[in-house]
Amino acid sequence: MKKVVGARLKRKEDPKLITGNGYFSDDIQLPGMLHAAILRSPHAHAMIKSINVEEALKAPGVVAIYTGKDLEGKIGPVPSSWLVPGCNLKEAPQYPLAIDRVRYVGDGVALVIAEGRYAVRDAMYLIDVEYETLSPAVGQKQSMQIDAPLVHDDIENNIAFHWKAGEIPEEVCENAEVAIRQSFYIQRVAPSPIETRAAIGQYNPGSGELTLWCTSQNPHIHRMVLSGVLGISEAKLRVIAPDMGGGFGGKIGVYPDEALVGYAARDLGRPVKWIEERNEHFTASNYGRDEVLDVELFGKRDGTLGAIRVKNTHNVGAYLSTMGPGVSTIDFGLMVTGCYKIPYASCETFGVYTNTTPTDAYRGAGKPEATYQIERAIDLFAKEIGMDPIELRRKNFVQKEEFPFTNAQGLLYDSGDYEKPLAKALEMLDYNKFRETQKELRKQGKLIGIGFSTYVELCGFGPSKVAGAIGFQGGVWENATVRVHPSGKVTVYSGTSPHGQGHATTFGQVVAEKLGLPMDDIELVFGDTKAISMGWGTYGSRSVAVGGTAVSIATDRVIEKAKKIAAHELEAPVEDLVFEKGIFSVKGAQGFERTFQEIAKSANMAWNLPEGLEPSLEAQSFFDPENFVYPFGAHIAVVEVDKETGQIEVKRYVAVDDVGRVINPLTAEGQVHGGIAQGIGQALWEGAVYNEEGQLLTGTFMDYALPKARFFPEIETAFTETLSPVNPLGAKGIGETGTTASTPAIMNAVMDALEPYGIKDIEMPLTPEKVWRAISESEGK
Amino acid sequence: MKIEHSYTFKSIPREVLWRTIQDKEVLKRTLPGCKSFVEVEDNVFESELGISIGPVKGIFTGDVRQVDRKEPEFYRLLVTGKGKPGEIDADAEMVLLETEEGTVLQCLADVKLTGILASVGQRVMSGIAKVVIGQFFKEIDKEAKQLV
Amino acid sequence: MAIENVNVKVKINGKERCAKVEPRTLLTHYIRDDLGLTGTHIGCDTSQCGACSVMVDGEVVKSCTVLAVQADGSEITTVEGLGDVNNLHPIQQGFWEKHGLQCGYCTPGVMMAMVGLLKQNPDPSDEEIREGLEGVICRCTGYQFIVEAVKHAAQIMRESEVQLVGEER
Repeated sequence: MKKVVGARLKRKEDPKLITGNGYFSDDIQLPGMLHAAILRSPHAHAMIKSINVEEALKAPGVVAIYTGKDLEGKIGPVPSSWLVPGCNLKEAPQYPLAIDRVRYVGDGVALVIAEGRYAVRDAMYLIDVEYETLSPAVGQKQSMQIDAPLVHDDIENNIAFHWKAGEIPEEVCENAEVAIRQSFYIQRVAPSPIETRAAIGQYNPGSGELTLWCTSQNPHIHRMVLSGVLGISEAKLRVIAPDMGGGFGGKIGVYPDEALVGYAARDLGRPVKWIEERNEHFTASNYGRDEVLDVELFGKRDGTLGAIRVKNTHNVGAYLSTMGPGVSTIDFGLMVTGCYKIPYASCETFGVYTNTTPTDAYRGAGKPEATYQIERAIDLFAKEIGMDPIELRRKNFVQKEEFPFTNAQGLLYDSGDYEKPLAKALEMLDYNKFRETQKELRKQGKLIGIGFSTYVELCGFGPSKVAGAIGFQGGVWENATVRVHPSGKVTVYSGTSPHGQGHATTFGQVVAEKLGLPMDDIELVFGDTKAISMGWGTYGSRSVAVGGTAVSIATDRVIEKAKKIAAHELEAPVEDLVFEKGIFSVKGAQGFERTFQEIAKSANMAWNLPEGLEPSLEAQSFFDPENFVYPFGAHIAVVEVDKETGQIEVKRYVAVDDVGRVINPLTAEGQVHGGIAQGIGQALWEGAVYNEEGQLLTGTFMDYALPKARFFPEIETAFTETLSPVNPLGAKGIGETGTTASTPAIMNAVMDALEPYGIKDIEMPLTPEKVWRAISESEGK
Repeated sequence: MKIEHSYTFKSIPREVLWRTIQDKEVLKRTLPGCKSFVEVEDNVFESELGISIGPVKGIFTGDVRQVDRKEPEFYRLLVTGKGKPGEIDADAEMVLLETEEGTVLQCLADVKLTGILASVGQRVMSGIAKVVIGQFFKEIDKEAKQLV
Repeated sequence: MAIENVNVKVKINGKERCAKVEPRTLLTHYIRDDLGLTGTHIGCDTSQCGACSVMVDGEVVKSCTVLAVQADGSEITTVEGLGDVNNLHPIQQGFWEKHGLQCGYCTPGVMMAMVGLLKQNPDPSDEEIREGLEGVICRCTGYQFIVEAVKHAAQIMRESEVQLVGEER
């Protein structure tokens, strides 16, 4: 039989999705269902003088309108779930609706409930709110100034947290032969799942149970947080994540809107549906990044790197989001040395409140920023000392024999062989030939550039005791139940919550291989807190490494129990039992066999079980890894810059990733492609823009540029496989590698192309205008 | 958003242009999308304007004030409006210059938009606003010609 | 001022259906809410993302920017009309086989747009497919496997001469 793990299988989840039979939030129709709309602040910062709902209440179909004042004392603030310790973190309470002051464009002001999708919006626009505008705090650096307007009156200088890690002896910096100093702005980007957020609440007044369907990457976290916000027992709150149209971090957050829908459904005793509009999404859904990085890289002329000192000034928005505080501190600050053996590192992070929509995790969360600064800085360093950027990287790589390796910030990299993917990528690209071609083309006046990014990522979130130590308000172990039905068909329950990644297929492959069953015999269940005992969801490239491992262990436990039953029936000692390809047999005794299906029946019927063995064939695992996992790889981009227009064309893109064991190469490649597209998006096109009044200027897909198909060449991918010792699958994590690696690869390529002009850096996104201006200015010099 | 626009009213004397542009009946007729225009106190008007800019359409209610009047060469126009798609707050300096050709009207405006109005196409909106102002000046030109 | 609801009648996926709706009802809401065909999705409200694409009288249309009344009397094909699990349309086979979807939210619209493309160009190059995808946005796949999926579908169609949607089946 062919191996199932490692096979390029097409996905189990697709038949329903390609025939229009998916079940997304807006597909849910319940009897007597009402629609909700949330009136949002048009101002970045203002006092609410009055709210007049009189006219709106008279509008056809209106059932109820709630303001912040109406809900005072009835529904609590929505807390952040990552209270990083030791950084004087100041969390301002975020009430589901603003009570007397709005703090960003999109801050909720009133909740309207009506019969019908259109009626509810008609009514919403009839609400008359009188505001007295205040000066807004916009931009993190400006908002830290002494005279900046305060987002929250009691939080001085708008500083939400001030975190530090790592020390560098002064002399290391002072005596360095080479010091590279550069600031980078990792601009604010919108995760932009094509399905916006949604919530549907249904309350049963008889049982007191509230069911909340919502676009959540982590329904159990939603249940835990919302039970507190709504004052309802976790046992009475069921959160279901139906099919979801992407998340990318934007659906990790527990938002005020979900609490409002739950509250209204319970208060009115009728189902309530809220579907976010796209323009609303741009103002009310968390963004990613928005960090200013001031980087100093020290070393010797021979290319030995000595220290890296980084200051991150992070715009957290008006409130702390669910994971926001952890992004620019733990995720970023502990990874600033990347895949290099830099002896000293320090990171200082300021989280700054501004009058803008909150920022949270976005694909990679902290690691793309960490990779960006080191990969850009290392290129600048190479230029400075006149060394090939590859040679400099190789010289400073953590070497294969040095794993497990403790980086300067104290993280223990599990396993690695950084040379392997780099060598493979260079071979795929034919590097030496490329440099010759580049010289030729430059002579012809063409601006061709090549950019590298060798990265390592912190994934597989993670060991729970570490999560506790770093202030994460949750465990990050994972749970799986493998339930074998009397027929031998299997249902697997996982606490991860996929929304496009294809876990039903990859987890199914793990189970199918172990049990020797066809994929069709295995069903996966995710995203329902009533069906799944506990779990922590899907983010941080954790699903396979942690959730998949739980599935693997639970399956092993099923086999262990089934073996006891088979041994009993075959009258052989358990030690002599062999289980292969779905058959239990006795070593050395031909013909003595039981199929998996026969044992499933025996276990469930329990007519004849070994003494003391309980009936049924089901096992559970709660897997808590002992460490994170650290995937790595090498990406190479080739670009051409049109000097007349500043337009950038990506000519080639080579990605070689090492994510440990690849369970399904097809879906793995899909993850790499998608991640790269988003990372290139950050480099070249995407960016949320606020003006000085705190008004969002990029509120639609006409104004915010998402990548289109024709922007990309064919991406060339390959994998190397360095197993992780942290979990029995040997798996690392793949969801975020593309976004982490690609942004600096593209930037480095463009800077290489612009080398003849002496241009060192341009702020992202590299729109043609910016590139053209940079070229023009340098020509003018 | 800063908007600069100037228009030459050929062979129209400055006084005539001043009179035209101050005439509330004329304004009512010529303001783009004007549905009502009522003087509530001296130089303060309550108005209702229907505005359609690209994908954003809506009726804005608000007031228009004229301040710092220096007949016949200068006045400031303060406009605040509120509608479904957001709010408008504009401060425009209007300068009337006498030239050989006629009178040049320079408009220097600082326009603040909020809500959807701000987040949809604002980066192309100054261009559109110029078109709208241009249309308004053209209408005024027609009215003024009748007075010459 | 109450505006009277109007009856909108269409032939959708080969079946005559009608429903009374407010005149301002968008085609996409009519299809989803009134006819209960929820395979067609809404992604952006401003006709950039194309998740709502359907075929109206053989033309690919973004159903979020058309009123239901404008489609009165027309023939509509949605993703549900392409093919069912046991009888998949080549474009569906292509997307499944080549991993042309991840979350699957934009997929119905993208498939409809690509059916439209293949109608005009049965043997498109990679570049032509990428250009044909201009009217849709997929945030998951980076488009590469969508291109593969469309090529695969085109090949199946050429080999089996499957009739295209929007023509008589």
